[in-house]
Amino acid sequence: MNEDGSLVRLEAIHKWFGALHVLKGIDFAIEPGQVVTIVGPSGSGKSTLLRTINMLEEPTEGKVFFDGREITDIRTDLNKVRTEMGIVFQAFNLFPHKSAVDNITMALEKVLKVASGEAKKRAMEQLEKVGVAEKADAYPEQLSGGQQQRVAIARALAMKPKLILFDEVTSALDPELIKEVLDAIKKLAEEGMTMAIVTHEMGFAREVGTRALFMDDGVIIEDGAPEDIFSNPSDERTRSFLSHVL
Amino acid sequence: MSATATREAVAETPPDTRGPTAREPMAILITGWVSIGAAVGGTLLLQLLWALAGPEVTQECVAEGVARDFTGAGGVCNILEAFRSRAETIVLYVAIVSGAVAIAAGFWRYRIMPTKRMREQCIAGGVLGVQGLIVALALLWVRQAQLGTFVRVFFNIEVLEGYGGAFLQGARNTLLLAFAGEIGGIILGLVMAMLVLSKRRVVRAPARVYINFFRGTPLVWQLLVFYFGLALGLNLDVGAFQVAIIVFSLNTGAYAAEVFRAGIQSIEKGQMDAARSLGMSYMQAMRYSIVPQAVRRVIPPLMNEFVILIKDTALVIVLGLLASEYDLLSVAREGYSATFNSTFFVAAAVGYLAVTLPLIRLVNWVESRLRSGLTGIVGQ
Repeated sequence: MNEDGSLVRLEAIHKWFGALHVLKGIDFAIEPGQVVTIVGPSGSGKSTLLRTINMLEEPTEGKVFFDGREITDIRTDLNKVRTEMGIVFQAFNLFPHKSAVDNITMALEKVLKVASGEAKKRAMEQLEKVGVAEKADAYPEQLSGGQQQRVAIARALAMKPKLILFDEVTSALDPELIKEVLDAIKKLAEEGMTMAIVTHEMGFAREVGTRALFMDDGVIIEDGAPEDIFSNPSDERTRSFLSHVL
Repeated sequence: MSATATREAVAETPPDTRGPTAREPMAILITGWVSIGAAVGGTLLLQLLWALAGPEVTQECVAEGVARDFTGAGGVCNILEAFRSRAETIVLYVAIVSGAVAIAAGFWRYRIMPTKRMREQCIAGGVLGVQGLIVALALLWVRQAQLGTFVRVFFNIEVLEGYGGAFLQGARNTLLLAFAGEIGGIILGLVMAMLVLSKRRVVRAPARVYINFFRGTPLVWQLLVFYFGLALGLNLDVGAFQVAIIVFSLNTGAYAAEVFRAGIQSIEKGQMDAARSLGMSYMQAMRYSIVPQAVRRVIPPLMNEFVILIKDTALVIVLGLLASEYDLLSVAREGYSATFNSTFFVAAAVGYLAVTLPLIRLVNWVESRLRSGLTGIVGQ
């Protein structure tokens, strides 16, 4: 935890891609146990914001604190920090040359130095949890999109992270496969996992989130309880966005 | 069980929709085959018959400049006489006439054929006719030339007698040079590719210099400079064969580095993201995620490089190799120097093709296999 009791704190984050100003001064914190859903139009900087939290995108300006450390400090061991913080991607990004179970054991063995038998046991527990244990020995190309994404969630969970980031994890899925992935995330929320979820599924964002952010044009416009933001948005831009997507 | 398998196999085959054939397109197709068959098959068959009939140096043969008393005169005369025989004349005219008929009928009639199969048979007959006609006309033209010296110098198989062992050793040395060079090149290339992909200029620059130097200068120049300049000039204790292996490794390393670089860059960025997000260092991500995937993608281009290297090993001919180190081409040159007969070079070409043709087929097979998805390669 950080000094103020939060798990993650972002201070005055700016991100430039060349001449493009993507994040324009982001300040916010995630408390332990919170499920923060981040919604907003495409190009508003949601994914970039999420990726700055685990430093896959290095902010141009500003500071990121995670669990008592400033991870934007160049001396911080990012590899260590990232083992405590999982991320699940839109494109799954499973390792195609490894079976489902080996996708999970790879980092356990090579990074956390867990013994092979123990790593396998942990991997199977997580596959069980997301309901794809019977596909443990299948390669990613032999799995449906929904199964691949659940394996990716299991891969993040197996590291026993303090926080999991979800980056539009259902956007690449066929409609009939979305529910199985959302159900897996919902289960995590019920167990009290701290999560930040960028999503286009408004119903899901409202249902699973304990807190919602609305972003537009690189800034956070609204931050509050999901029911307030989705039923009673105070900002004109939020109202306009929601009227288009709901 | 096998009955089920058969039924499934039948069910998976798409229906043949090319339709029936008829007499006319069949006749056109057969005429085309007759043309190319007569020109190529007929000529080869006559050569075989004359070769089996036994050597006999005839008057006509001597008149063409083939002296009676050199090694292999009989074999050379057989080739000449089979080629000049009345049977060959008939074969060639059959090829020309049937070729012309197939062309005329095939390309005239194919438009009005009612089914796809018939149309394809007409076109195939016409195309085969073109090929048979070209081959037959070319052979007819060659027949009018003075062939005695040509056949004697390039196709006197008897002069190769006694060189079988030398050629085998040459082939072994050629493969040894190529394999050693390729293995050294792959190791060097992988390391150089990693350096070239660094975000730090000070790391990239020396690797770039190395790659561009070895890609930018002729291989034969590299061999000469490394052997005569460095090994001999600096009086180092290395032989020409070792120098050749080092130079082939360095040269292949430069090309393999570019192949690996392209392969690594072709892996989706998400793979690096995923590996790093799990706490892996850059080198761990490369080692466990990126490189294993890239290696599979670069297998076909690396095999192509290997085929090229097999042929390029012939450049060791410019170095002073020991007789036991001779590669295929050096063996051929040795034979040529002893006999002044170029059949040795024809034999060397056959030796190279015996290695490269199967390899080229293998590359194509691997490529088609990779293209049809990762199945069967992923699971290793």
